[in-house]
Amino acid sequence: MDGPQAEEHAVASDTPEATLGFDGPVATLTLQRPAQRNALSTGLLADLHSRLDELDAIVSPPTVLVITGAGRSFCAGMDLQQVIIDQDTAADVPLRLLESLARATHRIRMLPCVSIAKVNGAAIGGGCGLVTICDLAITHADAKLGFPEVDLGLCPAVVTPWLVKRIGAGPARRVLLRGGIMSGQAAAEIGIVTDLVETREQLDERCDSMARSLTAGGPKALRATKELLNELDGSASLEVLLRAAKLSAQVLSTDDAQARLRGRRG
Amino acid sequence: MIRVERVTADGSACTVITLNRPKRRNALTPSMIAELVAALHTAAEAGGGVLLRGEGPVFCAGFDLRLCLDSTDGSAIRLLLSGLSDACRAMRAHPGPVVVAAQGAAIAGGCALVAAADWAIGEAGGRYGYPVTRLGISPAVNAPFLEAAVDGGRARDLSLLPDLVSGEHAARIGLLHTLCAEGADVTQAASEEAARLGGKPAEAFAVTKAWLTELEGADRDTRTDRALEVSLSLTGGQEERTMLAAALNGDR
Repeated sequence: MDGPQAEEHAVASDTPEATLGFDGPVATLTLQRPAQRNALSTGLLADLHSRLDELDAIVSPPTVLVITGAGRSFCAGMDLQQVIIDQDTAADVPLRLLESLARATHRIRMLPCVSIAKVNGAAIGGGCGLVTICDLAITHADAKLGFPEVDLGLCPAVVTPWLVKRIGAGPARRVLLRGGIMSGQAAAEIGIVTDLVETREQLDERCDSMARSLTAGGPKALRATKELLNELDGSASLEVLLRAAKLSAQVLSTDDAQARLRGRRG
Repeated sequence: MIRVERVTADGSACTVITLNRPKRRNALTPSMIAELVAALHTAAEAGGGVLLRGEGPVFCAGFDLRLCLDSTDGSAIRLLLSGLSDACRAMRAHPGPVVVAAQGAAIAGGCALVAAADWAIGEAGGRYGYPVTRLGISPAVNAPFLEAAVDGGRARDLSLLPDLVSGEHAARIGLLHTLCAEGADVTQAASEEAARLGGKPAEAFAVTKAWLTELEGADRDTRTDRALEVSLSLTGGQEERTMLAAALNGDR
């Protein structure tokens, strides 16, 4: 397992932007940056890596890990403000951010516990990528999910291998090339999430019930099964994700992409 | 028998390639498929999207089987299979969107073009599939593309069972991505889709498409070469000759 880089620890703020809670065999990892719709900044990702370090250090890991977002959103994706290259932002920031995201997705996928994405609200771009790496995912019909990267002149390279594993190469081609945002209902139909409730209010109860039925199974059987599934679909390859991070950073650094990002900042 | 036009819709350029042999339901001949491959290469140089369509009520009935039978040494079918492989590769390699308007039917080689599209539009009540094993022909040549378009189990069904499926079924399994009502203007729907996809930032689209292709492995020439080799290995053989003759004589 790859450890986080020291500098990522250094940028972690006093108030953690990712927290970990435990309830018996079920742990919950919460993205805690609600005012920015839990956008993936270097700080949030550093805290996420720290929480994953803590999980790795537990001798008897939890059986289930629920991943969710504080506030109304699950995760709005990459913090696009951070990747606008100007006098305050070094040219290598996009690559470092994307590599950190790539490593985080790989670490979550390779965790021994069964992961559930509890998609409480918008899951966009890299945020929707976090949904696709989880073993199971649940959302409500009105949630907004999707990969609008191509519309913004960006390439969703890091999430592509995960989406392909999740829904297959053909559907992934359609979803990523067409861009845009879909409803929770549509995301369930195409298989981005595995379970759907009608309203946001029903989400906690259904997720708890899903976690309960998982913890009824033998932890060793669950772990062995997950490890085999990861082996069969090539999840262990970090190399492809790091290459993806480079590819995505290249596109992000082009004049066209930078101009579009500045245009969005207004 | 191939018509090529360059159009601009909503500010994005698109090469419209039309299979133009409607009396034979656009059945492919070796020269037609060579023209198609050349048109795809020219379109890639010109930039923008590609809309591939067929004149008349049927997109494409596959290879011209009469021509295949008359070519007793199997050379026609070999040219067709190689050309089809090249065409599918060129569709994948094209940096912009490739949209196929498959009204009526897309059979065998025609269905192969559907499977290689970024976006395929079909018609309710239409007929789609690869019913070629009953002709002693293997659809292996298209397998790397079909396996990327639909899941593994469906790819086996479609490749091994000599049946056609309805447009509705093809849409359900992901072979078609938009299903038009029976009798609707499929080319119009495809033009709109080509304009929608062609309006995306070109570089982001091209890099994302190439990355998807790399991950699915369809661009790995060895895999596509091997698939072609399997289809070619049967050409001119006794089984193919006998079954092709029986099928064509049965049609009469």
